[in-house]
Amino acid sequence: MTTVRTLVAALCLCALGLLPLPSFAATELVLWHAYRAEEKAALEKVVAEYNAANAAKGIKVTTLAVPYDAYADKISATVPRGKGPDLFIFAQDRLGGWIESGNTVEPIDFYLDDATKKRFIPSTMEAMTYRGTTYGLPLNYKVITLIYNKKLVPVPPKTTGELVKLAKTLTDKKAGRFGLAYAYSDFYYHAALMNGFGGGVFGANVTPTLNSAQNVKSLELMMKWLEKDGIVPTEPSTALITALFNEGKAAMVFSGPWFLGEVAKGVDYGLARLPILDEAGGKPMSPWMTVEGVYVAAPSKNKEAAYDFARFLTEASSAKTLALEGRQSPSNQAVYSDAKVAADPQLKAMREQVEVAVPMPNVPEMSMVWSPATSAMNAIVKKASTPKAAMDVAQKAVAKDVANLRKK
Amino acid sequence: MSTNAPQQPAGDLGGPGPGVASGQSGDVLLTGANGGPASSLRRGRVLGGLALTLGLSLFLANGLLARAREERAVERAQRRAGVALLSLADVVQRAGGTGDGVRAAVKDWPLPAGASVRVIAFNGIRLEASTFPEDTGDKAAPRRLSRDEKPLYDRGQRLRAAVETNREEGGARKPEVESEARPSGGRLLSAPVEVDGTVVGAVEVATPPVPPVGRGGLAEALAAFLVPLGVCGGAGFLVRRQRVLAGVAAVLFVAGLGGYAVHSMRTLADELRGTQEAVGAELRERTTRAQALLAAHGLRTEPPLTPAAWDADSLRHPLGLLTDAGQPVEAMLATRVAQVRDEASRALGLLGVLGLALLLYVGLGGLHRTAATLKEHRQAYAYILPALVGMLLLVFFPFGYGIALSFTDANLYNTHQPLSELWVGLRNYVEILGDFQIARRAADGSLVFNYLNFYYTLFFTVVWTVTNVAIGVTVGLVLALALNVPNLRLRPVYRVVLILPWAMPNYITALIWKGMFHQQFGVVNQVIRMFGGQGVSWFDSPTTSFLTALATNGWLSFPFMMVVSLGALQSIPAEIYEAARVDGANRWQQFTAITLPALRPALVPAVILSVVWTFNMFNIIFLVTGGDPGNSTEILVTQAFKFAFQRYRYGYAAAYATIIFGILLLYSLVQNRVSRATEAA
Repeated sequence: MTTVRTLVAALCLCALGLLPLPSFAATELVLWHAYRAEEKAALEKVVAEYNAANAAKGIKVTTLAVPYDAYADKISATVPRGKGPDLFIFAQDRLGGWIESGNTVEPIDFYLDDATKKRFIPSTMEAMTYRGTTYGLPLNYKVITLIYNKKLVPVPPKTTGELVKLAKTLTDKKAGRFGLAYAYSDFYYHAALMNGFGGGVFGANVTPTLNSAQNVKSLELMMKWLEKDGIVPTEPSTALITALFNEGKAAMVFSGPWFLGEVAKGVDYGLARLPILDEAGGKPMSPWMTVEGVYVAAPSKNKEAAYDFARFLTEASSAKTLALEGRQSPSNQAVYSDAKVAADPQLKAMREQVEVAVPMPNVPEMSMVWSPATSAMNAIVKKASTPKAAMDVAQKAVAKDVANLRKK
Repeated sequence: MSTNAPQQPAGDLGGPGPGVASGQSGDVLLTGANGGPASSLRRGRVLGGLALTLGLSLFLANGLLARAREERAVERAQRRAGVALLSLADVVQRAGGTGDGVRAAVKDWPLPAGASVRVIAFNGIRLEASTFPEDTGDKAAPRRLSRDEKPLYDRGQRLRAAVETNREEGGARKPEVESEARPSGGRLLSAPVEVDGTVVGAVEVATPPVPPVGRGGLAEALAAFLVPLGVCGGAGFLVRRQRVLAGVAAVLFVAGLGGYAVHSMRTLADELRGTQEAVGAELRERTTRAQALLAAHGLRTEPPLTPAAWDADSLRHPLGLLTDAGQPVEAMLATRVAQVRDEASRALGLLGVLGLALLLYVGLGGLHRTAATLKEHRQAYAYILPALVGMLLLVFFPFGYGIALSFTDANLYNTHQPLSELWVGLRNYVEILGDFQIARRAADGSLVFNYLNFYYTLFFTVVWTVTNVAIGVTVGLVLALALNVPNLRLRPVYRVVLILPWAMPNYITALIWKGMFHQQFGVVNQVIRMFGGQGVSWFDSPTTSFLTALATNGWLSFPFMMVVSLGALQSIPAEIYEAARVDGANRWQQFTAITLPALRPALVPAVILSVVWTFNMFNIIFLVTGGDPGNSTEILVTQAFKFAFQRYRYGYAAAYATIIFGILLLYSLVQNRVSRATEAA
């Protein structure tokens, strides 16, 4: 009798011991990101939801927030050596470099079905594509819009003609008041005008086109605003723009979501699409957008599970959490028909703006553009050089760097 | 060492040292006992050295030959597989990349035993046709690729991207034919299928393992080993002087290794000819099959087949070794043979030089002396071993790697290739040092500097170093003199306050200073405006930008000089000043005749150090000016950094770094000499 009882007890123990076995075989996915504060909280909430839903399958996602300054280098150093995460979130600007150096980002075309592809705003999907291959799912985007002080600007201008007219009435240089303020000497901000005119940094085959006629035209318009119209402050730094806007001395600002966090409590602001360019025949100003994508790391052992999680992260329900709680603009299209999201003026304005935005080039050659372009912008704004001459110099510098890189 | 030997006879006699070493220690004992003229000739040492080095060299040469033969065998297999691959790709392209024509071509495609082919179509991610053994039954083609076959699809897409990239850039930097090892030992080759200018799929050929090539050439190696050894043994009885015998051994070594080298090259040339025959036969067979297939399935025959293009490299550039009819092109073959011969003779030449050095080292007693010191000071060597290993791994290896990198064209696009394939010799150095376009005249007659030029940057770096050290020394010395006033109240407080800039991490200081020079909100411009001036855009002109960095680094560097001077000042005995005062010297005379000379021993090393630090002061330049405006305030190290991580030219940046190292090495050599002179004076 006792032997039977011992046997049963032993069997029970075995069964108990065996039960957690599936969790031994569990897949653990590691996700790296550089979010903080509410963005991080929202992401972690979505991850917790995924973990709860997939606990039965034994899949568990853990997140690691990496300080932003070291993030890109950390990925470049760890992922190709197989020491990195299974997934990571990063903006598209480093994508080309990682693909060219190899074994960092996994191509996902094989997994990607049409339904998933259609889920996203097309231009954000384009930002995830390099040389015809898709490398990640777009999570959210950041884009510059028109931000205006509602007290000074009851109705935001629709065209640059209206903008200049309105701004002139609001400008009083003596009192330090300006109708418009934006970091126009910063090439990133200027890109909204440049792309609006149909210009750009690279043409076909990634040949630099900095000194194209369209680019020069856009610079001339910027100089007109500065010199002839006088609606923008000289020497615009981001700190100055913030200060002016907060003091009610700048009626309108071109800036992105990062600016909103710095707007003072008392300022009642609104967001609207950047105006249409009368000077370019009614084409809209189209800023560069930065798209943060979820990438599957090439050396990951659980690529399928990782892709499945990336898909979950970009679903409408997850996107809603990220949008409403994380204050991000998701790349998922469906989420914008949600009542709460649609009622949010910030998300709505970003969504309208992104329609005409252009993804910032994700080719590695882009890193060679910034320094010459910044020099050219400074020379132009300081009137040390005409737009055409300055862009010619920049074009030469970039073309030389690109040629040197490709030289065999 | 002969004096050491008698002190440890027990160890030498009883030591079961292996081969040459024990023979040598016996040798030592002998000479120790005999002394006199016999010590001038040690036959065992020379003979042992020759046996060791020639044996080792021939062993390595034999290994190299075996590897080269294996490489040739792999090349033969690879070229044959390449012909099979590209010819099939050609037929598949003519069949439109998908459909029954493709499947028929694959089915009828003759393959050696163990080889298989498959065709992948991107449209619908499909396996179009396959003769792989696993693709039968319910997995038979055509079907959609299963999830675990993702690498196949990705490989195809990689080829597509490579073809498009090469076409767009008008160059050829990405391989259009991939070849990878299979776990079973064979290789897998993939090529893109292009229809009407777009890549629509990929063809893959898996080859069976290449049968191993026998080591071979052992008899020749043995002959090349024994004959010189015998001759050397005989010569030992005729020659009476160590140096002459060592010379004879060296000549015999060269002869032995050289003889074997000639044999190796002949073997390799034969192998190449054999390969040529085999690939030619393959090409002819494929051509007939392809023509038959084209006719049988009514595929496109325009443009006509160009079989010579099937024998191509990984960029799909024809090798030109065979004609369309499959006949060898003799001229190209000769170049190829010469190329292989060059490679082999370079490897063997290097081996010979190393072997010769080792032979002379052993034969002339170097090894013996080294062993003796190692033995005598073994405790000391044991103690420094950890540091030695650490230095080797952490300092000398990266250093050597950096130098090797500087001779290559490594950049973002080719980091995965071995350095030997990227070798460009001195090109980077020529490009850096040979560019004399420092400045040019602009249209309006003003001088425009080329800020990326090496000599401009060097000039700027020197100006930066000299001004910084001058400021550091002057301010430091003045403050030290002020603090050295006798009976100064609160001296410790002042000292602590003045050392503070040094105690803070310098990048924090740098960022604070950068903020202070901000055009709008910086405290410097606020002060200027307070006095009615106009704020300056500090980072917009090279001169003002330089001044900001100079101010920051001056702030950081004076505490060090002050501490050094203060310590030296306090060690000057007060009696000397007293005596000078009694002699009627005024304060200036006291300073120049007593203080300065007494400070020199402390200041000179400090200045030397500080020059090196400032020359390479990356943080300040990078964080404060960032090279603005337009790279005009870069010093050499920040410039090298930008070449590496902004323009992605790793090899070029490594050459830059090596040049910086050379400059500092030169400086320290000169400085050493000068400071030794000052010490002597």
